[in-house]
Amino acid sequence: MTVFHFFNCAILTFGPHAVYYSATPLSEYDTLGTSVKAALVYLGTALVKELLKALIGFIDVAGLYFALTQLTHRNISQNHKFQAVGLGWAFADSVLHRLAPLWVGARGLEFTWDYLLQGLEANANLVLSISLAALGSLMWLRKNKPKTLIPIIYACAGIVATMPSITSYLRRGLGWQFPKVVGFELFTSLVMAFISWQLFSACQRPSA
Amino acid sequence: MAHRKARERDMLDSVYSMLALVFILVACVELCDAATVVDVYRLIQYDISGVPFGSRLASLNHHAGSLHFSPGADLSRTVVMIPVRELNISFVTEYVSRKHPLGGMLFLLPEIFRLENGGGGKDVREKEVVKNVLLELEKLLVHAKLPYPVYFAFENDEIDAVLDDVKKNDATGQPATATTGGYKLVIPIAEPKKVASPTITNIQGWLQGLKADGDANQLPTIAIVASYDTFGAAPALSVGSDSNGSGVVALLEVARLFSLLYSNPKTRGRYNILFGLTSGGPYNYNGTHKWLRSFDQRLRESIDYAICLNSVGSWNNELWIHVSKPPENAYIKQIFEGFTNVAEELGFKVGLKHKKINISNPRVAWEHEQFSRLRVTAATLSELSAAPELLESTGGLLDSRHFVDETSFIRSVQLVAESLARHIYGYQGKNIQIFADNSSLAVNPSYIRSWLDLLSQTPRVAPFISKNDPFIMALKKELADHTDEVIMQHEVLDGMFTFYDSTKASLNIYQVASVTFDLLLLLVLGSYLIVLFSFLVITTRGLDDLISLFRRPPSRKVKTA
Repeated sequence: MTVFHFFNCAILTFGPHAVYYSATPLSEYDTLGTSVKAALVYLGTALVKELLKALIGFIDVAGLYFALTQLTHRNISQNHKFQAVGLGWAFADSVLHRLAPLWVGARGLEFTWDYLLQGLEANANLVLSISLAALGSLMWLRKNKPKTLIPIIYACAGIVATMPSITSYLRRGLGWQFPKVVGFELFTSLVMAFISWQLFSACQRPSA
Repeated sequence: MAHRKARERDMLDSVYSMLALVFILVACVELCDAATVVDVYRLIQYDISGVPFGSRLASLNHHAGSLHFSPGADLSRTVVMIPVRELNISFVTEYVSRKHPLGGMLFLLPEIFRLENGGGGKDVREKEVVKNVLLELEKLLVHAKLPYPVYFAFENDEIDAVLDDVKKNDATGQPATATTGGYKLVIPIAEPKKVASPTITNIQGWLQGLKADGDANQLPTIAIVASYDTFGAAPALSVGSDSNGSGVVALLEVARLFSLLYSNPKTRGRYNILFGLTSGGPYNYNGTHKWLRSFDQRLRESIDYAICLNSVGSWNNELWIHVSKPPENAYIKQIFEGFTNVAEELGFKVGLKHKKINISNPRVAWEHEQFSRLRVTAATLSELSAAPELLESTGGLLDSRHFVDETSFIRSVQLVAESLARHIYGYQGKNIQIFADNSSLAVNPSYIRSWLDLLSQTPRVAPFISKNDPFIMALKKELADHTDEVIMQHEVLDGMFTFYDSTKASLNIYQVASVTFDLLLLLVLGSYLIVLFSFLVITTRGLDDLISLFRRPPSRKVKTA
């Protein structure tokens, strides 16, 4: 019986396409090839769309590239430049996403742990932003990098850039509670900071 | 040059004012962020001749506590949440009589007493236990003076969860105060004000009898009266289904039946019938008194007798007729015999109770006493065998829809209708059923049911019903459907009783963190920031720099030397 139902729903879904093709003059002029080509192009577009959705976090990277390389800074050393850029980046992110909820919510009588957790998340975000800025400056501002480290640098930068997508997947897809997500963020931010610190100091040493 | 500067200044001004507006708006945003919001109903607040009774305060802003507090704890800033199911009445009695200071009381009533839950049937045994507790509690609260807010609420899942939490906190021995967190109950409401000139509205209707041609004398009148207002511990919940909703519905049904008979001149009786729905019942039948005083002498003398209906909806096998004239009186005998005969046919007993009236005593226990004081023969038909005390049996928390038993109520209506009809048409002693079942004049159960349902969802405490309340309009319209010359009489309630408003409110329950929690948090965050600062100074500038921050620079004297 269920197969029958599948058949019924299928002819409702796909029937009109076949009917349209056969009933109208389209079938006489043998336009099937054009339709197939259009279908293939659609598949390609859909793939591109899904890829973009997954990689929307990389606009962050583009923004950081702009901030690190294109803006004119005073004559400060590279070491301080990435820290300053990361600091400004993280501060703006906190203000935009966390100030309004804090103002409206944390002043009320009702007590929730949400705002403290949000503060911890801001801390983790600061560390992540500085790490990303460091990796970014390594990628675009330093010209003489040891060859072996380059793929690692790009891999770490990729991971840090996709952190927002990862946390939102954890929250919505796996249904993690807010405290667990914040804990994960803190842990990964410390790990990533350590790794990028090691990479940075490794690139500081003149290549042998 | 000056132009541009002026324009710039204007732009800056507008920007500043916009910013100021944004800040003001943002500062004013106060969302309702309570964990739970519950409808609560306040205990009545009233004065009798200046003596205060009931709960004297309305606004509430205290921590929640339960009955499991440690003995000797200071509860003056705590609201005690008491589920009526687990109430030990002696606790409340003790607290009230010893006048212990308390922040407030919140009584939690079981869900079945909600106004919307009409017919019961479920958990009848549970209701029995709760019934007795509620009766005692109501009596205690109504006659006590409580200088703190007292509210009633219905149990639901959220409030049960809050209560469980509060009980757990109390079990650890720590009373909930500002420093230990817990739950805070807030009712932001203004101070209760006196109800100025509370109105009572009496509604009357006539069914004119058949005057014989050439008969100049006025026809005799029979009056049927019932008071429709109630009084209870929680005026927003006082629906009084039995006291006296049953009386009102019985009167309306009798009016309907007799209007059918009187609409045809061939079956119109030789008596006028006067129907009266009076207010002010709990207050010594003040409304009836004022209504009777508005009659002129001739009308009063033409009243053969009056039957007052009071609580006829939940009896088992005996009704009572209460009179104030001695039972040997010929009229009383006639009335009583008429009722007894019909009752026998219907299969139950009717007893006669005599209570002399004391003119000097202002207490009027039965409605017929107001008639008797003006020398009109009257009797009250009721299921109560003893005269109720002041503000007793006036429809309280318990008196909800499932308190009325439909079968016995229909028998009461049949009793009243048949006895009246036999008197009017002269069929005393004869076995003729005018309102027989399955006839066109039978008592209509669905009419009765729908009116009882309506009454069981309408709280009717007189000072809180305005002159043009929709319920009064509905009564007037219904009476006008069955009778003629419907007149409403608006009076002001006797000055002996004063009432205060605010009968219903919204309770916000907040889960609050204590002050010590926030102080601790400040300490932790402060030390975290200091540690972070030192860590960053050490890693980026070196330990010497950190130490040098705390050392004063060498004094100038050394430098200049």
